[in-house]
Amino acid sequence: MPPALSFAQVRRRFGRLAVLGGVSASVATGEVLLVTGRNGSGKSTLLRCLAGLLAPDSGTIDYSEDGAPMDAAARRRRIGLVAPDLAFYGELTAAENLAFFSRLRGIGRERGDELLRRLELPPDRPTAALSSGMRQRLRWAWALLHRPRLLLLDEPFQNLDAAGVAIVRRLLAEHLAPSPAAAGAPGLAVVANPVPLEIGSVAGNLDLGA
Amino acid sequence: MEPLKKRTALAASWLLWLWLAAVIVGAFEYAPLAAKFIGQSSRILFFHVPMAWAAFTAFITAGVYSLRYLFGGRSQGSPRDPRHDRAARAAIELGLLFGVLATVTGAVWSRIMWGAYWNWDPRQTSIVMALIFYGAYLALRDAVEDAEKRARLAAAYAVLGLVVTPFFFFVVPRITFSLHPEPVINARGRVEMDPRMLQVLLASGAGFMALFFWLHDLRTRVLAVADRALEAAALGARPAAAANAAASSGATGPAPHLGELRAGADPATASQRTGNW
Amino acid sequence: MPAASAVSRPASTWVREAAAVFAKEWRSELRTRYALNTLALFAVNTLVVVSASLGPLGAAPGRSSETLPVLLWLILLFAAAAGLPRSFVHEEETQTATALRLAATPSALFCGKLAYALTLLAALEALVAPLFLAVMNLDVARPGLLVATLAAGGFGLAAGSTLVAAIIAQARGKGTLFAVLSFPVLLPLLLLAVELTRGAFAGGGPPGQGEQGGLGEAGVALMQLLLYDGAVTTAGLMLFPVVWNP
Repeated sequence: MPPALSFAQVRRRFGRLAVLGGVSASVATGEVLLVTGRNGSGKSTLLRCLAGLLAPDSGTIDYSEDGAPMDAAARRRRIGLVAPDLAFYGELTAAENLAFFSRLRGIGRERGDELLRRLELPPDRPTAALSSGMRQRLRWAWALLHRPRLLLLDEPFQNLDAAGVAIVRRLLAEHLAPSPAAAGAPGLAVVANPVPLEIGSVAGNLDLGA
Repeated sequence: MEPLKKRTALAASWLLWLWLAAVIVGAFEYAPLAAKFIGQSSRILFFHVPMAWAAFTAFITAGVYSLRYLFGGRSQGSPRDPRHDRAARAAIELGLLFGVLATVTGAVWSRIMWGAYWNWDPRQTSIVMALIFYGAYLALRDAVEDAEKRARLAAAYAVLGLVVTPFFFFVVPRITFSLHPEPVINARGRVEMDPRMLQVLLASGAGFMALFFWLHDLRTRVLAVADRALEAAALGARPAAAANAAASSGATGPAPHLGELRAGADPATASQRTGNW
Repeated sequence: MPAASAVSRPASTWVREAAAVFAKEWRSELRTRYALNTLALFAVNTLVVVSASLGPLGAAPGRSSETLPVLLWLILLFAAAAGLPRSFVHEEETQTATALRLAATPSALFCGKLAYALTLLAALEALVAPLFLAVMNLDVARPGLLVATLAAGGFGLAAGSTLVAAIIAQARGKGTLFAVLSFPVLLPLLLLAVELTRGAFAGGGPPGQGEQGGLGEAGVALMQLLLYDGAVTTAGLMLFPVVWNP
């Protein structure tokens, strides 16, 4: 099966600091690429490049959706991100936040409501009043809202209690290999974490070291 | 640079200096004094006007390079060309230089002719507005740390400037007429010019334009060298990763499948890369 | 090319996106009231300072139609600089911009934010203009022209401010940098708006034009103002995607 995501020689520096020094890998559908490395080794930078939030200085990133390259609009439809610095509108509730993004993406409210239920999020509390664990669950809900093909997960279990971890593991498994009853094609994921995580379907490890 | 190119460039720059020297001499010895001007003050014409032309050219150059930087044909997903950004920045810096010189010479002239350094002549006002724009552009560059973002935001601002500036030129003259009803002497346009004066003026104009493009080329190259030094410093700080990149690029074919690749995981080299942060 | 990503979505979804952004901005604003308070307090404060320093009799009658339009537009300009940039700056500072970047079509986002800025500015003008006229004891010779000027000038002010706000939100020194960047851009608008307002107060067209005053002169200036509005809005639509995304 052709890789659904591949990147080659991606470099990014900030001033004098070379954060990414030419990294390459590829991921196929149904697989997880695990990116590990110490703090500051460039894991988040790599994920941001893959998400289109940062432009690499050089190198290529190919998202082959049936062989055709993706433009920015398609990337927005196909990519979901969970990251520690992702934040939502504090004065709006979790439900309102998801409703806003649902409207933006042109999808109905049902998916947002379903995710709120599954992640056991209090729908009517302002997001600013949520605990850090709840906020992490909201990030997961937001990332999965539009049923993306590619999940980029930066420290995905951060702040989650055991119950939360169990829920998101199940969601990730469903993302990678949806049951026949569920809609959608299988997805893929890139997971960044300081230490290796026990996640099913890890097909490879990119260690940025340092 | 190849020897032939270097020699041509050297010869060209000598030619430019000789040309400008001839212009200076010509301005004082060859061209006659203009009738309506006080004393020797018409000599300023031959420098003040070309400086303004150079400043104007600089502005247009910056706009064009900024557009090329932002929208110049590149394939989806490939990085933008920093050369265009450097060229735009160099043009703005030189535009500021020539613009300040033009304003100062204009103010001196204005003082001699009409007793006041400033009299809201539309050209005076327009050039100052352009200068404020240049200054704002440079202030914006100073306020952004990341190189890619800096280039992108600055280029967008330069293009916005390009869109807005024409309004200065056709709005301001009307406004200043309404503020100050006395007629403004547009000494540059409507005065009948002695042919020798015209010759010196045009020669000076050509000289200053050439000067601008030469300085622009120099400045752009200086900026390029500075950028390369920064990249080298960045590369030098991760020798293992660079070596890895070189090794990977040596391997032919598509990116190796994950599971086989370990970028920089060699523990022996790990210690070399901790010096940065 | 920035136009491509706008074209790839049908117009109806694009409009819905812009409307969603607009609604979200107002929902947030009504809960915190930050921008409204800032704009209102700033404008009223400035108005008080101006009228107090002009003294109990206001500006001398002969000068009033020359200087007062300038003061009105300066109040609007500074209030806008105080209250409008927050729309983008707040997104970057609270890091909600990341989610927007991954979910919203840039041109639709720009229009939503622009619509929000327009409504804020309309509210500001509705507060300031009547107060100004009352406090300065001004008679408006041509109220229609004044309203048209406030509308066209307000539009340009909002459009220019929105794009510049998007730029400075990603830089340091946001407050002062906004002023530094936006004032050169807004200067033609200011000059035109002041000239038109002067015409609206005095009635006879700009002073110094003699009998050439009247609808003709004002009409030309208004056309140029509308042209400026169009130019800045178009530039915003084209440049925002580039400013927003790498």
